Amino acid sequence: MSDPGPVRYPASPSAPAVAAQLPERRSAPGKLADDTRLAVEIRELVERGHANEARERFSGLVAAHQRRALRVAYQYLRDGADADEAVQDAFVKVFAHIGSYREAWPFEVWFTRILINGCLDRRKARLRRDRWFVPAEEARGADEARRAFGGASDLDPEARLLARERRDRLDDAVHRLDGRQRTVFMLCHYGDCTPREVSAMTGLNESTVRVHLFRAARKLRGLLGGKP
Amino acid sequence: MISRAHHLQDDRLFECYLAGLDGTAVDRLAAAHLAECPACAAHLRELVAFMDGLRAEADAETDAIFTPERLRIQQQQILHRLEHLGHAARVLSFPARLMGRRMARTASRIAPRWAVAAAAAGLFVGVGVGTLIDAARREAPPAAIAPIPMVVPPALAPMIVSPALTVSDPLPAADDDAFLSDLEMALSGPRNRELMPFDALTPRVQAVSSQLP
Repeated sequence: MSDPGPVRYPASPSAPAVAAQLPERRSAPGKLADDTRLAVEIRELVERGHANEARERFSGLVAAHQRRALRVAYQYLRDGADADEAVQDAFVKVFAHIGSYREAWPFEVWFTRILINGCLDRRKARLRRDRWFVPAEEARGADEARRAFGGASDLDPEARLLARERRDRLDDAVHRLDGRQRTVFMLCHYGDCTPREVSAMTGLNESTVRVHLFRAARKLRGLLGGKP
Repeated sequence: MISRAHHLQDDRLFECYLAGLDGTAVDRLAAAHLAECPACAAHLRELVAFMDGLRAEADAETDAIFTPERLRIQQQQILHRLEHLGHAARVLSFPARLMGRRMARTASRIAPRWAVAAAAAGLFVGVGVGTLIDAARREAPPAAIAPIPMVVPPALAPMIVSPALTVSDPLPAADDDAFLSDLEMALSGPRNRELMPFDALTPRVQAVSSQLP
């Protein structure tokens, strides 16, 4: 199972192509999504030197994308602290480079690309680290405890145990996917991205994204005991 | 038109699922088949339930870890980091008091040129004087080293082995008994009470000498 590598942008998209790639479920073609419009306003504020106001407006973007970003980062990294840091770094990086943002791409696509590249870098760094150091299991214990009890506190112990086992099986199944299948599945399923957006993020053809997604779902159904 | 005998393949069903997710229109032929074929419709429902289940599991897991409080803290941390974006890293002086001294010492180390010249001159003079003294010592005849006078009581003189020197002019002779009695008197003084037990254990000269044959 190989890592898919950094997410690439297609080279210099033309305006009609970009308009065609805007997600229908979020905004109509040719019309900027709310977060994209906000990002453009923040960029203009930064360019005019109104850093304080830009920061205040940026908190709106953080609030809008934080939960989804954490979901994606956690699925990549499987560690709460790592995901937390990756999301923070991604937001800081976005603000630092907001001047280079172009509304040709939806803000969500741009941000998710930065986030995923950061997650992949962290995974590589962790692999290098784990070659030399014993992984800190006790640090992950807290996440495990929250996973087991935090989200299903209203369930009885047996149900909680079953839920935990299900999640472990799901983790295992997702990590047995091929690198591209996993990326596409995570972006579509956990990142709320459409195949068009994933196509824009990864540089893959949209039909290729759909094929990867279908194969990932079929493999998961097979691994998890559903109908393949 | 897809006949009921030819059910929708999994990939077509998945396309229908994606279309429902995106809110786009399902393929017309597939939609017509789904309306007529309960088996395919059941398969689609099963697929949707499976995918929704995966999503719900992931959402529950992430929400359990990233509680609203943690999200709020993270927002604050992000904004805090943004406030310090672009600022140069602050170097903490540690410990501040010693750093102040060190800085003052560093400033005082910048010596003027005359100090360097004085140091060189001092070195030159020192080397010259040292050379002269050494030459004078070599030229001078070797002098007898005066013995260090050592005070030895005449009574102990025979016990000392050579090269001890006996004092030619010994101290005025003192009577041993008088000396010891003076010592006893001193010991019996009020300032030496602590030594009294030792004194009690010490045999008296007179008593010892009376017992001698």
